[in-house]
Amino acid sequence: MSKNHKVPAVPHAFFKWYCKRDRYEELHGDLEEFFYENITERGLLRARLYYLSDIIRCCQPYAWKKPKVYSNAHIIMIRNYFKTALRSALRNPLSSFINVFGLSVAIGICLVVYAFMKNDADIDRFHEHKDKVFLTTFYADRNGDLDQYGATPAPLAKMLEQDQPHIEKVGRLKNSNVVVKYGDHVFYELLKSVDPEFLEMLTFPLKWGDPGSLKDLNSVILSENASVKYFGDKNPLGEEILIKYNSGEKKFFKVTGVAKAFPDARIIDFNFLVNFENVWLADPAFDSRDWRDYVGATLIQLDDPAAIDDVKAGMEKYRELQNPVGSDWAIASFDFHSIHNLHYSSADIINGISNDTTSAGRLVLPIIGLFMLALACFNYINMAIGSAAKRLKEIGVRKVIGANKGRVVVQFLAENIFMTFFALLIGIILSVTLFLPWFGGISDMQMDLSLMDANLWVFLISLLLVTGIISGAYPAFYIARFQAVKIFKGSTRFGKKNPLTKVFLAFQLILACITITGAVTFTQNTQYQSERSWGYNQEETLYATVTNGQAHDQLAAVMSQNPDIVSMAGTTHHLGRGYSQAIVQLPERKYEVIEMYVSPQYFETMGLPLKHGRTFEQTPLSDQQALVVNETFVRRLGLSEPVDHIVNIDSTRYQIIGVVKDAHAYNFGNPIRPTIYRVALKDNYYFLTMQARPGKQIEVLNDMKEEWLKLFPEEPLLGGLQEDVWTGYFERVDSYERFNKAIAMVAVLLAGLGLYGLVSLNVSGRIREFSIRKVLGASRKHIASNIARQYTVLTIIALLIGAPVSYMLVEAELNLLFVYALPMNFYGVIMALLVLVSVLIFVIGTRVFKVSRANPVNGLRTE
Amino acid sequence: MGRSHLGEFEELVLLTVGVLYDDAYAVAITKEIANQSGRSVAVSAVHKSLYRLEEKGMLKSRLGEAESKRGGKRKRLFNITPFGKKAIDESMDLRVHLRNQISDLAFNWQAD
Repeated sequence: MSKNHKVPAVPHAFFKWYCKRDRYEELHGDLEEFFYENITERGLLRARLYYLSDIIRCCQPYAWKKPKVYSNAHIIMIRNYFKTALRSALRNPLSSFINVFGLSVAIGICLVVYAFMKNDADIDRFHEHKDKVFLTTFYADRNGDLDQYGATPAPLAKMLEQDQPHIEKVGRLKNSNVVVKYGDHVFYELLKSVDPEFLEMLTFPLKWGDPGSLKDLNSVILSENASVKYFGDKNPLGEEILIKYNSGEKKFFKVTGVAKAFPDARIIDFNFLVNFENVWLADPAFDSRDWRDYVGATLIQLDDPAAIDDVKAGMEKYRELQNPVGSDWAIASFDFHSIHNLHYSSADIINGISNDTTSAGRLVLPIIGLFMLALACFNYINMAIGSAAKRLKEIGVRKVIGANKGRVVVQFLAENIFMTFFALLIGIILSVTLFLPWFGGISDMQMDLSLMDANLWVFLISLLLVTGIISGAYPAFYIARFQAVKIFKGSTRFGKKNPLTKVFLAFQLILACITITGAVTFTQNTQYQSERSWGYNQEETLYATVTNGQAHDQLAAVMSQNPDIVSMAGTTHHLGRGYSQAIVQLPERKYEVIEMYVSPQYFETMGLPLKHGRTFEQTPLSDQQALVVNETFVRRLGLSEPVDHIVNIDSTRYQIIGVVKDAHAYNFGNPIRPTIYRVALKDNYYFLTMQARPGKQIEVLNDMKEEWLKLFPEEPLLGGLQEDVWTGYFERVDSYERFNKAIAMVAVLLAGLGLYGLVSLNVSGRIREFSIRKVLGASRKHIASNIARQYTVLTIIALLIGAPVSYMLVEAELNLLFVYALPMNFYGVIMALLVLVSVLIFVIGTRVFKVSRANPVNGLRTE
Repeated sequence: MGRSHLGEFEELVLLTVGVLYDDAYAVAITKEIANQSGRSVAVSAVHKSLYRLEEKGMLKSRLGEAESKRGGKRKRLFNITPFGKKAIDESMDLRVHLRNQISDLAFNWQAD
C-alpha cells in the first residue's frame, strides 16, 4: 500500500460537494479503499481513472445532499421580497422613476463609451499577421526636439531583409499624388506604390481578383470605393485606367483586383495600389539605394513577434550607415510598432501611415462614462437612504420574525440588482436607439453594438453587478444595522440628517458644474476658432490648382476679364494647400522650416500684411537670392535685425528682405511654423490665387467653374473659396462643442433629477411638521426658507469647490485638444453657477408651492 | 412498504451480506459478488442497493472501526434483519416452488 499517493484533488472536491455529510465518511472510505488497492494492483494512472469513474457513478440520489432552497419557507420569503420591492417601488413612483431612469441613462452612456472603445481597440486588427508585421520608425532631431518619424530611408528595407534572419518579408510604400482617368471620370487621387509583399503582410481581403497580380508592373488594385467611383457596380477586372503623374509621365494600368469594403475600424487603407517599381515614374531622381531618399513606410514581417528585440539590437549598423550620408538629419535610433498596437502610438509618429488621436484623448470618454455612472449611483444611494426611512417598519417586522442582518442585506442588494437589471434593459434600448446614433452623428463615426460579441456580455454583466452592488451596498448595510426595538420605539430616525447624503449631493453638483462649464466654454471656443484670424484675408480669396505654368497663364488670361477680381497671383505653393520644407543653416545650428515659392503679387492677393522691409520686385528673375520670412521665423531663430540678414540654404547665401505677419499654412490644430517665401519660377506655377471684390467671391467662383470647364474639360477643378480649405477642421471643432453640450445636458438632467427626488423625499418626510407650522400660522416664506436653509449651505460649499475645479479641468481639456485654444474665461463657470442655482430654486420652489397649497388637515392625517 | 419484493441484484446483495456475516461492508460485498458470479460490479450499484435494502428494513447497519487502508475512515457494516431473512426465504421458496412445477416434458428436447 502506498500512503504517499493521495486521492486526486478535483474529483475528491466534487465528491465532497455533492455528498451528504453523514454518508461521506463511509462512502469515501469505500472509494479510497478501492483506490489504494488499485494503485498496487494496476498502477497509479489506472487507479486514478477508476476513482474518477467511481466518483461519477456514485453521483446518485442516495449520496446527494438535500438542497436547502427546496424548503417552503424560502420560496415564500423570496416571493415576499419581490412583492414588497414592487409595492415600495410603486408607492413612490417618482423616486423609482428617477432611480431607474437615471441609471438607464448612465448605463446607456457607458454602452456608448464601450462601443467607442471597442471600435478604437479594433483598429487595423483584422490583418492576419498583425502581431508579426511591424512599422519601422526612427527618432531624429529636426526642430530642436527628438521626434519620431514614420517615413524611413529608402535603402533600409532591402538591407534589413538580407541581414536579419528573423525577417520573412519586407514591404515598402510610397505615396504619389496623381490624376486618374477612365473615360469621362477624371479625379485627383492618392496612389500608393508598394512592394507585392504589401498585400501578403496586410491582408486586405479582395472582392475580385488576385493580390499576387501586384507583381506585374502594369497592374493596379483598387479599393471598393474607388471601383464604385470609376466603374459603378460592375466588375472592372481587365479594364485599363490612365494614371498621370505630377512629373508629366503617363501610364496605362490594368485593373487586376478590387478590395472588399474596408472595415470601419481601420486607419491604414488605400485607394490605388501599384507595384513599387513604378515610383520612378513619379520621381525620376528617386534612388532606392540612397540614404537621402525616403519611402513613406517600411513594413517588416517576422517569423516570431518576440524576435523584434533581436532586430532592434541589430539596428545600430544602419544608424552608422545613415549618419554620414544623411548628415542633415542624423537618425538617433530606430523603433518598431506592430500593426496590432500601431494606432495607439500613431499620434506620436510624424509622417506615419496612420493618424489617430493622442493617448490622452482616449481617456476622455471612459472618464465621462464613469462620471455619468457615478452621478446615477449617487442619485440611487440618496434615494435609497431616503426611501428606507419609509420602510423602517418593514425592516423592524422582518427582524422580529427572525431575519438576521445578512438576510436584510441580501434582500436589499437583490432588490437593487433587480432594479439595475431593469435599468440595464432600458439602458440598452436607449443606447441602441438614441445615444449611439446621436453620438455617432456627433463624432462622424459609424458604430454598432454587436450582440454576438462575448466581451459585450462580460461588460454588461459586470456593469450590472458593479452598479448594483456599489449603489446598493451602503444603504443595505446601513439599514441592516438597525435594531428592531429602536425602530418600533421610534428612536431610530435617519435619512434627514445623514451626512453622506449631503456629500453625494455636493459631489453631483460639482460634476454638473464641470460639465456645464465645459459645454459653455466649448461653445465659446467654436466661435473663437471661427473668428480667429488666419493671418490673411481668407474670405475674399479663391484659388485653383493648375497642372503647370502654361495652364496657369491660360486660366489667368480668361479670369483677368472678370471685373470682380481685384488681384491675381500664381504660386507654386499655397497657404492651406501645400508647402515644401527647407533647411536653414545658421552658424550655430540648422532649422527645418516651411518653404513656399510664390509670385511677387501673392502677398497682396492673399492680404498678407508686411511688417518690415519689402516684398519681391515685380520684374522677372529679380530677387532670386531673396527671402521673405514670417514672424515666427524671426522669433525662433532669434534674429534681432531680420532685414538684410544672410542665411544659408543648401550652401547658397540668401538675404532676408522682408518680414510678413504669421499666417496659418495649416489649420489651427497645428502651431505656426517658421516659414520662408521665395520667388517662384513661372513654369512652376501650380496654383492661381485671386482676390475678389468684397461680397463678389461667389460670382467669381461660378465664373471660374464655367471658364475651367471650357478650358480643361478633361481635368477636375481642384479649388474654390479659400475659406473652405479647412472645412474638416471646423467640423471637428463643431463636433467637440456638440459633444460637450450633449454630455452637459445629460449631467444636468441627472443632477436635476437627483436633487428633485431628494428634496421631494425630504419634504414628504416632514409633511406633518409643515402642516403644524401652517396651522400655527407660518407663511409661505417661512416654509420656503425652512426647506431651502439646509440646501443653501450645501450648494454654496459645492459650488465653491466646483467652480475652481471646473475652471482648471476645462482649461486642461481645451489645451489638450487645441493648439490655439480660447483663452480661458469665467463665463463658463458663471453660467454653470447660474444654471445650477436656478435648477435648485426651481426644484425647491415647486415643492414649496405644493406644500403651501396643500390643506394642512390632509398633511396631519397621513401616516 | 410499497415494494417488498426483491430485485435480482438486490437479492444478490442481500444474500452476500448473509454470506459475509459480520464483515459485510460495501467493498467486501462488491468483491464477493464479483468473485462468485464472475461479473464486474460497480461499488456505486452496491451502495445503492444496500441503502435501499436498509430503507426497506431488510438490513440493519452500524459503523465499524476506522482503518488505515481506508484513509482512516470507518466502514458501515450491514446485517440481515429477520424481515430480510423472510424476504430471502420467500423468494427462494417461490423459485423452488415454480421450478418444481415445470414438468419434465418441457425439458424433453429430443422429441423435436
